[in-house]
Amino acid sequence: MAAIAHLFRAVTYRGHEGQIAWMLHRITGIGVFFFLALHIADIFLMAFGPDVFNSLLFFYHKFLFKLAIVFGLYPGALYHGLNGIRVVIIDFWPGMSRKQALLWRIQIGLFAVAYIPSAIVMISAMFFSH
Amino acid sequence: MQASPARPRPASNLELYSWFYMRISAIIMILLVGFHLFYMHIILGVNAIDFDIISGRWESPFWRLYDLFMLLFAWLHCANGVRLVLDDYVHHQGWRVIAKSMLYIVVFILIVLGAYVIFTFKPA
Repeated sequence: MAAIAHLFRAVTYRGHEGQIAWMLHRITGIGVFFFLALHIADIFLMAFGPDVFNSLLFFYHKFLFKLAIVFGLYPGALYHGLNGIRVVIIDFWPGMSRKQALLWRIQIGLFAVAYIPSAIVMISAMFFSH
Repeated sequence: MQASPARPRPASNLELYSWFYMRISAIIMILLVGFHLFYMHIILGVNAIDFDIISGRWESPFWRLYDLFMLLFAWLHCANGVRLVLDDYVHHQGWRVIAKSMLYIVVFILIVLGAYVIFTFKPA
């Protein structure tokens, strides 16, 4: 119940750009944490030689997993990085906090410019290679 | 007008260092992880990655060092982020101690496994 009340407050609290940016930063951060845990574990499997490592790679070559990378991990990590730059700018140059809404819009623009072409490259690689 | 009372000084600078580490590691990771994602996902593509590719990459000490830096900066950044999230949402002290202990154990084990393979791997 506390969680539902929490969610309700989060949705109805009108914090504009800053609140949305902060929530997305948390969610993407937690997501990247779990992926990175998996990623360190799979690279550790290199220690067991090519047979073990390559036989477990099917997981990453699955269509569903690639879909999760293109629409989950990749945009998540990209957003977290760009938003992190915005946070660093505001923290290290306090005057920039007055321009935080503009910085947010620039950030969304940069996200679109970086994400859309690379997503097209990754999605076409899913269908047209091998 | 009465001045608001001064905020009590924290007993240690730990949270200051934590704040600073997040920003410094973020700037470093923009370069390291940015290039890593671009190269692995756009230039190479996930299909091309297998044992031989990574084995070849680790023939060079440069890429071993690159991967070690990514491991340390990214994983400790992640760990500290999750620590802050647990501080925010796990209010019961007992559960918070348990959750953070589990986090530290997982973080430690994966740092050791990751560093172990980077240092000891012998290309065939």
